[in-house]
Amino acid sequence: MSELHLTTLMPFVYTLVVPFFYKYIRRIHTGWFVLPLPILLFVYLIKHISLVARGKPIIHSVPWIPSLGINYTINIDGLALIFGLIISGIGALVVLYSIYYLSKDREALQNFYVYLLLFMGAMLAVVFSDNIIVLYLFWELTSISSFLLIAYWYQRKSSRYGAQKALLITMFGGFLMLGGFLLLANVTGTFSIGEMILQAGKIKEHPVFLPAMLLILLGAFTKSAQFPFHIWLPDAMEAPTPISAYLHSATMVKAGIYLIARFTPIFGGNMAWFWAVSGIGLFTLFWGAFSAIRQRDLKAVLAYSTVSQLGMITCLLGLGSVAMYYGPGESSALYTSAILAAIFHLLNHSTFKGCLFMVVGIIDHQTGTRDIRRLGGLMNLMPVTFTLAVIGSFSMAGLPPFNGFLSKEMFFTSVLNASHLDIFHMETWGIMFPVIAWTASVFTFIYCMIIVFKTFTGKYHPQKLERKINEASWGLLLPPALLALLVVLFFFFPNVLARYLLIPAMASVLPDFGKTGFVVDPIEAWHGWTPELLMTIGIVAIGTLMFVYLRKWISIYARLPVQFSLNNMYDQLLVKTEAFSARLTRAYMTGFVRDYLLYIFAFFVVVLGGIMLFLDTFAYDPAANNPISIYEIILALAMVVCALMVLFARTRLVAIIGVGVMGYLVAMFFVVFRAPDLALTQLVVETVTTVLFLLCFYFLPELKEEAGSIGLRATNLAVAAGVGVIVTAMALSAQGNRLFAPISWFFENSYELAGAKNIVNAILVDFRGFDTMFEILVFSIAGLGVYTLIKLLTRRDQE
Amino acid sequence: MNNIVVLPLLIPVLTGILLALFRNNVSLQRGFSFFSFFLSGVVSLLLVQQVYNEGIQILEIGGWPAPFGIVLVADMLTALLLVTTSAVSIACILYAFKSIGEQRERYYFYPLFHFLITGVNGAFLTGDLFNLFVCFEVMLFSSYVLLSLGGTRIQLRETIKYILVNTTSSTLFLVAIAYLYAVTGTLNMAHLSVRIAEVGQTGFITNVALLFLIVFSLKAALFLFFWLPGSYSAPPTAIAAIFAALLTKVGIYAIFRTYTLIFYHQPEVTHTLIAVIAALTMILGGIGAVAQRDIRHILVYNVIIGVGFVVSGLAVFTSTAVTGSIYYLIHDIVSKALLFLLGGTIIRIVGTGKLKEISGLIHNHPLLGWMFFINALALAGIPPLSGFIGKVLVIQEGLARGGSNSGFYCLAAVGLLSSLMILYSLMKIFINAFWGETYLSQDMEKGTTRGLLLPCALLTAVIIILGLGVETLYPYVEQAANSMMNPNIYIEAVLREVV
Repeated sequence: MSELHLTTLMPFVYTLVVPFFYKYIRRIHTGWFVLPLPILLFVYLIKHISLVARGKPIIHSVPWIPSLGINYTINIDGLALIFGLIISGIGALVVLYSIYYLSKDREALQNFYVYLLLFMGAMLAVVFSDNIIVLYLFWELTSISSFLLIAYWYQRKSSRYGAQKALLITMFGGFLMLGGFLLLANVTGTFSIGEMILQAGKIKEHPVFLPAMLLILLGAFTKSAQFPFHIWLPDAMEAPTPISAYLHSATMVKAGIYLIARFTPIFGGNMAWFWAVSGIGLFTLFWGAFSAIRQRDLKAVLAYSTVSQLGMITCLLGLGSVAMYYGPGESSALYTSAILAAIFHLLNHSTFKGCLFMVVGIIDHQTGTRDIRRLGGLMNLMPVTFTLAVIGSFSMAGLPPFNGFLSKEMFFTSVLNASHLDIFHMETWGIMFPVIAWTASVFTFIYCMIIVFKTFTGKYHPQKLERKINEASWGLLLPPALLALLVVLFFFFPNVLARYLLIPAMASVLPDFGKTGFVVDPIEAWHGWTPELLMTIGIVAIGTLMFVYLRKWISIYARLPVQFSLNNMYDQLLVKTEAFSARLTRAYMTGFVRDYLLYIFAFFVVVLGGIMLFLDTFAYDPAANNPISIYEIILALAMVVCALMVLFARTRLVAIIGVGVMGYLVAMFFVVFRAPDLALTQLVVETVTTVLFLLCFYFLPELKEEAGSIGLRATNLAVAAGVGVIVTAMALSAQGNRLFAPISWFFENSYELAGAKNIVNAILVDFRGFDTMFEILVFSIAGLGVYTLIKLLTRRDQE
Repeated sequence: MNNIVVLPLLIPVLTGILLALFRNNVSLQRGFSFFSFFLSGVVSLLLVQQVYNEGIQILEIGGWPAPFGIVLVADMLTALLLVTTSAVSIACILYAFKSIGEQRERYYFYPLFHFLITGVNGAFLTGDLFNLFVCFEVMLFSSYVLLSLGGTRIQLRETIKYILVNTTSSTLFLVAIAYLYAVTGTLNMAHLSVRIAEVGQTGFITNVALLFLIVFSLKAALFLFFWLPGSYSAPPTAIAAIFAALLTKVGIYAIFRTYTLIFYHQPEVTHTLIAVIAALTMILGGIGAVAQRDIRHILVYNVIIGVGFVVSGLAVFTSTAVTGSIYYLIHDIVSKALLFLLGGTIIRIVGTGKLKEISGLIHNHPLLGWMFFINALALAGIPPLSGFIGKVLVIQEGLARGGSNSGFYCLAAVGLLSSLMILYSLMKIFINAFWGETYLSQDMEKGTTRGLLLPCALLTAVIIILGLGVETLYPYVEQAANSMMNPNIYIEAVLREVV
């Protein structure tokens, strides 16, 4: 077990300790005990930056199921490292924030921190693991911890609803993704991502390329809330705000993006991949931004904006994958920069969105509401919070001097480059990219302004709020302030970041390119009057105009039909599925044993009759028989008559007599076949059962005519006749198919073997005495059964 | 020849007889019951190790050589199932101590329980087709009595249906044995395998094979599961749990044994049919589970889904898929027992199984809640719990075979989606029963959980260990799959002297 493994498993170990801190040291907020862990992890990962930046991935392996090729192999390359830093870094800030956010007296803190640590450990393992099975394990664990955290206040109905929705959608995707993984594993014979990438060529040739790709993408899209699976994310806002900041904007929802980036070396350069990733991403970007504007709850605005921003990153990864089509060289440099932009924006988004979530948490904490309609004019009351909100929002809107400006410009560069593509039908559709990207950015600008100005400017409504407002404590302000600082720092020093973090991460997404070195222009704020800058200026102009006249056009949202909304469709899907399932199940599970027997015999007829016709297995050979005597024919006919008599009997007495006579006739057969001892036994058994029947018959109700439609009766008749015919036909065939001499010759000298003159007795008590012993046991059990039925009658109120 | 082979039969049957004589001494019955299953467990573990080191162990009963006498055969599959059976028996019997009620204890609950296990172990061990029938009867008669034990209205109603369906299937079993004996002239399974391999599986033998499939499907609740939901929701928890864990598995075992050892020559017919009904079983079971709003009903349909999944590994019919099936079978025995014990405990606390009337239990019963949660994840095949590796291997192999026959893609897809249905149905219980406002204070509860959580905790530990310890188990499971896929290993062990 390497140091790395120990480190990444630390959060799990820590979960075992946290409850004790909570239980025995109640005086101190449990968060203080948790805080050192993410800080240590962060520092530990920072130490690896220089090594990874020099292109040396760190690989350690610990066997789990080596026989099946499933090992926990940690591979820290540029991509994993950048995620690891986000997970531990934001994690530390969120824990610090939560100490001031969640009251130690009122909240079940041990649950909160246990789930949080579970998530942290799982998410680290997702990004560090080279083995897809281990990746899948921790992938599901992140879904589970998210489920538990969303329902942290499990008394609330909306929390439970949101938790279930998130779990169903992400796990649905997870199961499909597992299917995709297994398809890839079948092609490559390995579970290691690294080794799969080496066989990328082989995968591209294989017919499962497309299904595997789509399945894995479904896993990524559900997790990263891409359209139309984004609907779980807004409902996940029921989680406490520190969790929303951490899982549902900075880390977990980026797992899907991680997956897309990780599998780009395998699938990239393919048209289906390009369109699926960039197309869905682009539409999600637009739809998220468009939907964010209609929200009244600040957290809901942020949720949709997260959806939108994740769409943007996804779109960039799709655009960048084109580089793989061209291969390393000058011509692909235009597209590799999209990957750089994706990774840069990923990092930027974590900073400004984390900051914004914490700001909204502060507003909620101080005012008791997140409803825009009740807020306003907080600027003077909460100046620090206001400043942080401005930094976060303006960065998200793509304004200087914040990091969002840089990555937004790079995004525009990428879509403009993409519009000049002449492959993958982009010559026709390419123009769509800059147009939609620009439109979406206008909406982005508008909701960013809503967050700032509707909350902090305008009229202050103290009558709508339950408490007196003042600025938050420094503990709540420090974490978002640190993030805001990063937002500004990244703007001024993007190339330091690029050199140590972004380009090494790019090298993992495009491994073939990394070997030859990237052609990367330094990231700069000012390029002159480029189309990108004009686009930004256009956004600000049009966006401001639309924000000012928001009232005039906001009503278009009300015209969208509710019943076609995705949320409604999801709800209906669940309701309809349950209703359909219930109807179907009730239709055949009637509770009547006569129906069940009908199904069973019908299945019998279909399967055996079908195979008999299909394989033509009926083989009767009358010549092999001994001559049939007249007695035997009479006996057989008499048995048929008895059987029919039972069927058509109108009273129980007649039926009992019919069964009894049939039994005696069987005994007669034994006589004819010279087995007197069997005949005797049969006679005794028949007599006893008939007598017993007659005894019971006294207590039974009158036999009623079976009610039922003609159709049902016809079905019953057909099935019954079918069973009879098949059993008879098979018996005749068995007779005509005697392939071997039976082993019973062995028993014939039973006197020598077992000292018994009667071979039947010898078989019963010696050769197969074991059967007999168990049959006796069966009778004893039946006896016990009768006894308990008579003696033990539990009152109804007992179980 | 190895006498240890008979002990897993002998210990429960003797204990059962002994306990029947001391029916009024409840504490003696409890002590002996626990001790007997513990001892069976130890013996079974010993057997696993012996089979691992020395190959298949057999015992010719009465000294009559196979194929003439009855022979008990312990291969790795059998040995692993014996160990698992002992484990769940211990858990269920511990649960019964505190829940079954003194009346039932005095009326032969423990002897019947032992006879049931005798039948189950016998079915796993026997190498003779007719003896398999007899062991089935031992198991079934015990289950009839256990099902009706206590004589409540619902128990009696469901018992009569259960008896009718099972008597039908037993009759068909006997008919099938008669046909097969007429054709091959033998009952010993190894010998059957030799003889059928010699002449090839004729169409008629395939026909008879399918009759056996129908018989065992009835026992296993594979597609012909209609009798199961009613009868498994009627008896007290400890009995329902052992039924859910073991009875259908005996049917599955019989399908595995006959279709790997004897009727393996025409997989394009037989195994295709098995694949189709396995998929239908998962689909109908899944739909049934999703439809229900009562804990008992959700649980019984989950039993059905599990059956479909285990058998689909056989339908895929590669060594790896069968390995997966065995892993899943072991997992399913343990976690179904656990599921029923936990579900029964919820019902005991609240006094109803209707989800609408249960809420917020986690406040007073956190351990129960988390055990349920973990088990639900295990059943949905979430790693690193017990259900995962079996699921992965079966689906992976299904996908691999899908390349040549796209029907297997469908089977794999159904397998994956069945996990979603399991997850949905069980999370519905968790979300409704454990979350929400807590209405029921501790003194208002209908029943106590005292002593009931220990057996549940034991089984929960087992499903975690089974999940993490896949590697430790691997050589054993691989050996089991290997001997299933190579019938000659089995045949040579049984017919050493004859062939």
